[in-house]
Amino acid sequence: MKSHSKKVLFGLYNDEEELMAAISGAKSKHLNIMDVYSPFPIHGMEKILGLEESRLHIVGFIFGMIGTLTAFLGMTWIFTSDWPTIFGGKPYFSLPAFVPIIFELTVLFSAIAMTVVFYIVCGLGFGVDNPILDDRITDDKFCLAFQTNDLSGTDVSNIKKFLKESGAAEIHEKEV
Amino acid sequence: MKQFIFEAKQKQFLMGLMALGAVCLVLSYIFEPDSIAEAGFHQRFWSNLLHNGAFFTGMAFMTTFVIAAFVTAYSGWHVMFKRLWEAFSLFLIVGLVIFVLLGLGNVFHLHHLYHWAAEGITDPSSPNFDEVIAGKAGFLNNGWYIGGTLLIGGLWYFIARRMRQLSVQEDIDGDKVENFAYHRKIRFWAALFLPIAAFTGPALIWQWVMSVDAHWYSTLFAWYSMASWFLAACSLTILLLIYLKSLGYFEKVTVEHLHDLGKYMFAFSIFWTYCWFSQYMLIWYGNVGEETIYFKERLTHYPVLFYGNLFVNFALPFLILMRNTTKRRKGTLVFTAILVFIGHWWDYFYMIKPGTLITAQEAAHAGAHEAAQHGAAGFVAGFTIPGLLELGIMLGFVGLFIYVVFHHLSKVSLDPVNDPYYEESVHHEVQPYE
Repeated sequence: MKSHSKKVLFGLYNDEEELMAAISGAKSKHLNIMDVYSPFPIHGMEKILGLEESRLHIVGFIFGMIGTLTAFLGMTWIFTSDWPTIFGGKPYFSLPAFVPIIFELTVLFSAIAMTVVFYIVCGLGFGVDNPILDDRITDDKFCLAFQTNDLSGTDVSNIKKFLKESGAAEIHEKEV
Repeated sequence: MKQFIFEAKQKQFLMGLMALGAVCLVLSYIFEPDSIAEAGFHQRFWSNLLHNGAFFTGMAFMTTFVIAAFVTAYSGWHVMFKRLWEAFSLFLIVGLVIFVLLGLGNVFHLHHLYHWAAEGITDPSSPNFDEVIAGKAGFLNNGWYIGGTLLIGGLWYFIARRMRQLSVQEDIDGDKVENFAYHRKIRFWAALFLPIAAFTGPALIWQWVMSVDAHWYSTLFAWYSMASWFLAACSLTILLLIYLKSLGYFEKVTVEHLHDLGKYMFAFSIFWTYCWFSQYMLIWYGNVGEETIYFKERLTHYPVLFYGNLFVNFALPFLILMRNTTKRRKGTLVFTAILVFIGHWWDYFYMIKPGTLITAQEAAHAGAHEAAQHGAAGFVAGFTIPGLLELGIMLGFVGLFIYVVFHHLSKVSLDPVNDPYYEESVHHEVQPYE
């Protein structure tokens, strides 16, 4: 997933309250936030960042339906034409007996599809190298990051100034 | 507004509903379907009383159970509207009166709802003797019915009342006691109630509802009917909360709380279907004669009840409530809540009416046992599908239920300010984005 390198300018905060205030400040200044990193989930963060509803459940629905159809059509084909078998004196096509398997394949398909798609979308998984901006963002630092590839020098210095004013304890630049 | 005022206008309206219900009950006493009218059992009246009594009493019982489960599980989000549920739970006492009436009806043979209550059913020399039921007489007897209802139902009511008393008392001086003493006491009763409800709930459901088909039994029946009760209580909670909010009460109950209630309605609709289907499929697959006859009877003579039940209680809530947005919009939430409420009332109709009709037909044509078993063909007013009288009686009971709830609600402050989970409930958030 490493197509080209990103230049990242980020500030590290000591407290999540400062981070939240900084995000609101950046939003009001129309600065383009790349991402926010925190050691733990922060209540109300999504609203301030303006995140949209995840579309992952659409994947779940579509693959769930594929699972439903696979199980239903598969079992119908197997037990009525490919290898008709009588179980307990029931007809070849016995819908109630199919329902548990239909249900299970629906759950299986949607669960696996959502996991796989989630990993792909997030760029996670085996053999993928994910650069970390700073080791302490999984411990006790709160990070607000901006991408500066296409920004002019004045813009970058503006962001730096903003980070300093909003109370960032440290400001770093890193190429990832 | 912290204090609910039960206005005269509301009282009149609910009284009107109750009057309508009472008139319909009397009419159903008079208009007995032709096929069993001669015997003079008034089966339609008694089965309506049983149907609505079981349905509404069960809602109160399940609400008590849910309060206990939530308190034991450290739940905080429901605290904002817990007064409503506490008021629900106090309907138990009204339900007990109905069931004691029905039990006395058994003793004095006023009705033929239960085959096991017939005279001489355990006496081998009697023409009424029934070997299968005689074998179950240790449980299916009048002592158990009335004694169980009084003891178990009384215990439920006692604990429900105790939990509410403590919760109301907490409001008054909960901030002065140490260590959340009131909440700890509620926790004690709640934890005590969970096993009690788990063991005694099914016992009473078997007595009240399942034993109308005295020959038949299903070990899943209690789960299935309790899920039905919970869904009915949940949908009525949503409807009442939205109504009371529109009057200006419960202003701290937000769309987030309603969203979670909608989730409960969605999830338990699936749970209900799971129970329903497990019961159906195991009996269908096992194909044991005395079990299968139950579904054979219903599929042959009550197809509308049978498939309508699945459609309204599974397909519709499942499809409508699947999206997040429908759980957050009042319109769809109210629509689905009404559907689910009527759907589960329909479900109890389906549990009770076919069995009581067969029992009445058997008793009316005593001796012609076999013929009566399969003689339910054709449309029977008030039994094949709910008639207008049945709908009127349902409205009457809805009026009675809401009257009792509002009566208890008006006695206490709606805002449980001293509950340890109050703040958590105020800031309850389900969906962090718009």
